[in-house]
Amino acid sequence: MAHTIPFKLITPTKVAFEGDAELVIAVTTEGEEGILPSHAPFLAALKPGVLRANVQIEGKTERLELATREGFMQALPGRLTVLVDEALRFDDVDVQAAKDERDGALERQKTATGEQFAREQATLDFANAKLRLTGHT
Amino acid sequence: MPSVKDLRERIRSLKNTQQITKAMKQVAAAKIRRAEQAQKEARPYADTLSEMLRDLMASVGSVDHPFMKPGNANAPHGVILMTADKGLAGAFNSNIIRAGELFVKANPQVAWYTVGNKARNFVRRSGHADRPAWALNAPSKIEAAREVAYRVTDDFVSGAISNITLISPKLISMLSQKPETRTLVPIARQAQSDADATRVESGEARGAKGAVEFAPSPEAVLSRLLPKYLEFTIFSAMLETDAAFFAAQLLAMNNATDNAGKLIDELTIQMNNARQAAITKELLEIVGGAEALVNG
Repeated sequence: MAHTIPFKLITPTKVAFEGDAELVIAVTTEGEEGILPSHAPFLAALKPGVLRANVQIEGKTERLELATREGFMQALPGRLTVLVDEALRFDDVDVQAAKDERDGALERQKTATGEQFAREQATLDFANAKLRLTGHT
Repeated sequence: MPSVKDLRERIRSLKNTQQITKAMKQVAAAKIRRAEQAQKEARPYADTLSEMLRDLMASVGSVDHPFMKPGNANAPHGVILMTADKGLAGAFNSNIIRAGELFVKANPQVAWYTVGNKARNFVRRSGHADRPAWALNAPSKIEAAREVAYRVTDDFVSGAISNITLISPKLISMLSQKPETRTLVPIARQAQSDADATRVESGEARGAKGAVEFAPSPEAVLSRLLPKYLEFTIFSAMLETDAAFFAAQLLAMNNATDNAGKLIDELTIQMNNARQAAITKELLEIVGGAEALVNG
């Protein structure tokens, strides 16, 4: 049996996943970061993106993929926690809405500056993550 | 004395009112369960966020974030006033608005931000028509909370307001909700010194475990976590306002139903008396008429 770590994916409205993970790959502000069990204590800020994980469900390894909004990832000895604003599975994504969000954010970025631009970038990244998850790029 | 017919009409209309208040009571009872469920579901996030913040504060030396510094002292206080969208919940909304009025009495310079239609109406009536307002019952509360947080953050950072204060109801129990006034930003020194204390205490343990790695740096993570903390505080205040509103409405509608029941009982006795009086009068007339015939 593969080495695993208890993994929790938490949003303000629900615990999106709770179980044992063999590997979790998330998009941090510094780029993609893969976490294996017994990773050193670690805390990173996450960008909106596609979070991928190999998790164990009833003894079998399964692939978990979710589009996540910005948040944080914390690895502690014996547990791994990802905290994000929103986490959507394939079936939860409204493709048309995501496309509209992407176009809207691109449009508003033309006039936005500074902090506003960064916020629109987050909206844009999340919309793109949703589209990538569902295979619409 | 009102006639039997008048009384019957009043009783019928009261029964209708009672039916409505009883239905609203049941709806409030169902909604409060859902609101409490939402609060419960937000708890894991709240706990994890606080824990991360504590860990970070313990690892960061000096924090260079606008939220940790005093704001522009000459600017007005930024106050988020949070009420429900609707009434029919006893003094629920007016209690919060009164807390807002008290705040203004103590600090005349206030820039309002309102969540909930009742708060918006109050601020408009007091002559600030152009203040930003959001509905409490937004399709996505987390979106709405994010918008509120962005707006107050921008105004705080640009120096348009000196701090960010939140006035919102606190659900003490199903029978009691009280407005609570708290300063969210700048983040209180107390919280900081608490974190410092934790750092001293846990310093050794942490050293043994090995230092925590931060990507990119503790300061950078913290500067993302603090706005998130503000966002989430506003979000969870919105959830609590919801729950407190339905608790207040449940109580108000319960009282209204009881009062209607009491009135109906009283009026029914009055109606019976009036009917009995009419019957007695009629009998007396018949007996009187018969006696007149016999005597005549």
